[in-house]
Amino acid sequence: MTLFLQFVLTGVVTGSFLILATIGFSFTRRVEGFLNIAHPELLGVSAFTTWGLNVMLGWHIVPSAVVGIIFTAFVGLIIGRVVYDPIRTLGPAILLITSVGVHYVLGGSVDALVGTGIRSLDIPLAESYRFWGLRITNYQLLVIVFAALATTGLALFLNKTPMGLAIRAMSANPELAASRGIDVKSTSRITWLISSGLAGLAGVMLAVIATLSTDIAFHQILQILAVAILAGLGSLYAVVAAGLIIGIAMDVSVFWIPAGYRPLVAFSVVILVLMFRPEGLAGKKSR
Amino acid sequence: MTIYPLVLATLTFGAVFSVLTLSLNLQYARGGMINFGTVAYFAAGAYAYAIFTQEPPSGLDQYWFGFDLPWYIGLLAAGVASLLFALITGWPTLRLRGEYLALTTFAFAEVFHSVLLNERRIGNGSVGLANVERPDPTTLGLNDTVGYALAAVILMLVTAYVFNRLLKSPFGRAIDAVHDDEIAAQAVGKDDARIRLQVFIISAVPIGFAGALYAMITTLVAPALFTAEVTFFVWIALALGGEKTIIGAILGAMALVLFQEIVGAIPFETVRAAQIASSVEEIVTGILFIIVLRLRPWEKLAKRAAA
Repeated sequence: MTLFLQFVLTGVVTGSFLILATIGFSFTRRVEGFLNIAHPELLGVSAFTTWGLNVMLGWHIVPSAVVGIIFTAFVGLIIGRVVYDPIRTLGPAILLITSVGVHYVLGGSVDALVGTGIRSLDIPLAESYRFWGLRITNYQLLVIVFAALATTGLALFLNKTPMGLAIRAMSANPELAASRGIDVKSTSRITWLISSGLAGLAGVMLAVIATLSTDIAFHQILQILAVAILAGLGSLYAVVAAGLIIGIAMDVSVFWIPAGYRPLVAFSVVILVLMFRPEGLAGKKSR
Repeated sequence: MTIYPLVLATLTFGAVFSVLTLSLNLQYARGGMINFGTVAYFAAGAYAYAIFTQEPPSGLDQYWFGFDLPWYIGLLAAGVASLLFALITGWPTLRLRGEYLALTTFAFAEVFHSVLLNERRIGNGSVGLANVERPDPTTLGLNDTVGYALAAVILMLVTAYVFNRLLKSPFGRAIDAVHDDEIAAQAVGKDDARIRLQVFIISAVPIGFAGALYAMITTLVAPALFTAEVTFFVWIALALGGEKTIIGAILGAMALVLFQEIVGAIPFETVRAAQIASSVEEIVTGILFIIVLRLRPWEKLAKRAAA
């Protein structure tokens, strides 16, 4: 029973990481209106920038991470402005397919600069806490804390600030928002900064809890897509629920079936849900 | 380096991937369905072919079935496997639209990949099945590579011909009608869900054959050959060639394969240089893709030709 609960707890950590990785993706989908397949590559950009500063240049982890996240936010902003903005009128399918191209450019750039091999950050070993027979490390706790902070922060920003209101207006009806005097360009810019910054944070967390290789970013896309589909492509709170469901399902499944099947579990959950609720857990009954 | 093997390799792999691009063209440009799981149908064909022709397991082999049948039965099995997989994945998902369909087909492909990777009893897990049986072109008096290039080109031409005929038939007009105006098509008695499923299945069969041919050419089936990158590759080829025409689908795939073969043929002094070259290839592919989608030159040309 304790072992089972341990898997559940690990699942909560996995789920928290997935929430971090998916909220930016989901946010882009909601405001910009398309699926950005290249989003997970931003995790890689951030993780390797942080790694470069921390290990290659010997910086302390905290400034390395901060610079890594800010850098990633700007990379995302530039891509948004240069690549996606000019073709926004062509519809979500073209944007989705274009993002595959961006995925190649980002993935290839990281590969070219970093090369293959497995790397890890220069940080102290994880300390393990024990309670009621369960174990959790300080880094795992950090992931949970950041996931909670990022989610509530984004929710507060969207609901309590004028900028958040503008973003919500734009995501609901871009034409109407523009005609009511909302600056679509700057709203879009903020969206790219926030979603890419969140990807940056997720990337740093990935670097902290796992060892890094350049193909790691791509492996995240599977889980990110799973969480996003399950959540219904857009709702912030549904992402939290979906992230936890998939994280726990994946880790608890290890209890019965080999660990190699974790991604399969994620997608089986999604396929099952979509069969009964074609628009996801929190989907609206539109189209 | 001579030009001849380069041309031959481009022709072989270009033709194999053209079949995938043609099928995607039928599904997306005509049927309006975004299939992001093309690789699964390709893998289903390749694995079916390998399992049907492979000798029964021995020694350290962990797969259960190897029927040791002749290659043409394997080829047939590949088409059937792809068809069945399209039926299984298409039936529950085709009421989904747009990006939901894209994601679900992607999910199915990933589940399939994960099963192939982990389930050693099907295809030996990550090791895969090596020394896949293949017909010998020398019996026809052809050189090995020439024989397979020819086979690939024939498969491509037959696929293009059949699709072309299909789209010009009443069924093709029904597809267009469903694409252009679903409700009007329903009003005149066309069952749109059924037509969509039919398109999905019909376009999957040649992908299965292409998978079998690919297995013969590489003589290996392993999960590492059938990743999401194949799906992306086909999408890029389709976008490069222009999504509306059959010739475009072929040219796009050929151009992309040629580009990769050229980069692959450049000799590099060090492993690191080769690594960088392959990364740069990825970057260039991506940039090319973004630019083509942005400028959409084929569409403008077509419009000018029509005007």
